[in-house]
Amino acid sequence: MSLANTALIAHTRKLDLVIRHVLAGLGHGIHAGRERGAGVEFSEYRAYVPGDEWRRVDWKLAARADRHFVREAERDSHVAVWLVLDASASMAEPSRSIEGLDKLGYARMLLGCVAAIAQRQGDAFGLVVLGGGRVAFTEASRGPRHLQRVLAQLQRAEPGGSLPDAETLKASLHFAQSPSAIHAASDLLDWPSPLSIALTRLRQMRHDVRVLGLQTQAEVDASFASDLAYRDPEREEGVFRFGADLRDGYRRNRDEHFSGVTAQCRKNDMPLTLATIEQSPIEVLRRWLRRPGR
Amino acid sequence: MNALWWLALPVLLLPIWWHRKKRVQDQAAPMATARFLPRTEPRQTRSWRWSDPLLLLLRCLLLVALIAWLADPVYPWRGDTVVVAQGADPAWIEREAAQAGLANAERIVLPAAQALGWVHVHEREWQSDARLLVLGDVPMPAARPAFGRAVEVRTRAAPSRKVERHVHIASERAAEWRRIFAAQGGPETVVIDDTPGAATSLIVWDREQAPPAALRASLWWVTHPSAFPELAKARTLGGLRYADSARGRLWHHAGWPPRDPDAARALLDDWQQLHVGPRPYTMSSQAFAADTAADAPAPGGALRGILLAILAALFVLERSLTHARRR
Repeated sequence: MSLANTALIAHTRKLDLVIRHVLAGLGHGIHAGRERGAGVEFSEYRAYVPGDEWRRVDWKLAARADRHFVREAERDSHVAVWLVLDASASMAEPSRSIEGLDKLGYARMLLGCVAAIAQRQGDAFGLVVLGGGRVAFTEASRGPRHLQRVLAQLQRAEPGGSLPDAETLKASLHFAQSPSAIHAASDLLDWPSPLSIALTRLRQMRHDVRVLGLQTQAEVDASFASDLAYRDPEREEGVFRFGADLRDGYRRNRDEHFSGVTAQCRKNDMPLTLATIEQSPIEVLRRWLRRPGR
Repeated sequence: MNALWWLALPVLLLPIWWHRKKRVQDQAAPMATARFLPRTEPRQTRSWRWSDPLLLLLRCLLLVALIAWLADPVYPWRGDTVVVAQGADPAWIEREAAQAGLANAERIVLPAAQALGWVHVHEREWQSDARLLVLGDVPMPAARPAFGRAVEVRTRAAPSRKVERHVHIASERAAEWRRIFAAQGGPETVVIDDTPGAATSLIVWDREQAPPAALRASLWWVTHPSAFPELAKARTLGGLRYADSARGRLWHHAGWPPRDPDAARALLDDWQQLHVGPRPYTMSSQAFAADTAADAPAPGGALRGILLAILAALFVLERSLTHARRR
């Protein structure tokens, strides 16, 4: 199941298809729609657009007007969901076991799933893509059209460059005015970094910050081909070599780095989910969205 | 020995090694977590791609041409061949060649005495399946010839030609000497010259006084050793004393002129055997099988001229191309 899903991600270019597949596997319980409950007050009619659920179409009005209208309800929740995608060059790290799968594709798919869940719940959602030293915003909004827009932006994100510097990012934090749930997907290799500073600040502003740290199985197992020369995609530092003699040192350095990241997240009360991209996206998504303490 | 130069062919590996591309830096694969590894010196690996393949080809050809020039190879280019000794009867030659199935084969005409030696020296020039036939009045060599390939020899003795030997007799007993020469048999006839000339090969000097200084011949028969001071130091063989002088070789015997026919015939035979040389004897027809033990003669450098020209041309091309690439 796991491998079939990840291979699917690797070979499907249409993000919405993958998201539909993952969400179908996710089952119920995690995305309970709020708009069906009591206390939802009618606010306005709006024209049907493809992607709207059929059950929300007002059939009596359709019979009268010969056109489809959707009943929009007043929300009692104004939580905005912000999706933060790290699109720096290191996110192009490929899985060494599954052809065509990389960290960015995996993050793209999981953030797409979160956006789809938010859309189904009736929450507003926006996208922040960090890469090439720049910040690309997509304003928070609701509805299936916005979902398509966000998915298109995700699809367009290409790995390259490094994270924007702290000043640029700090100036961009104005998006989080209302209470927000911030879902950040990154490889967390730069920590502390402008991203970590921004997330910590957001957390201190009492937003719900959930961090997803993406790894590959090869990184976890410290098993890279020893006959290749390697270079760091974000730093011009020369050439690296991997071998059995360097495995322990690599593991030690990496564990040290990630224990630091974990400690800092725990200290700032930011739930951190570490996942390998070879894992089933359903499992990872469930762990990432699970309410802390449950 | 020249063929040992072919062992130098591994020298070709040198330009091939030098022309391999050096390590390319951007071959390094990206690895996001490379920062957890210690930095290493870039490894100097060479990939099996060629820089300047044209120049590499020229240099390899240059080396091959040089080695080939040193090794002096023999290219087997001759096909079926009939080697004809000079003076053989053309009708008989045609008949024998047709009988051997070589009527249309290449003909090579050689002096009879040199035919077998020439074939042996050039035997590697024939293709392995070529047939080789030697025809004519081939004289018998002193040792049985051996060839590295199959050679068939068919001989027929040519009718012996008359040979004249000019003799000058300076003697008071000329009649006795003439009687001796009348005993000469075989194809040779002896002509008595009244005055010695350029054709005179033998002078019989049966006088006490010395001969004129200008008189020369290849052989002198001397009865009075006092006339020739060189005979004082002469060596002796069976009663015959012999020495070399400025006038020619001197023979002296105390019992001359010979008294009986046997002694006269023995003297004439000695003259033939020791001085003129044995009469040629036509070899019998026979087929020589390829003898692996036969020493292959050293190649005569037949291809060296062409190879040298190729070598020079390749050298000029290589230098020009190197110069053009450096610009």
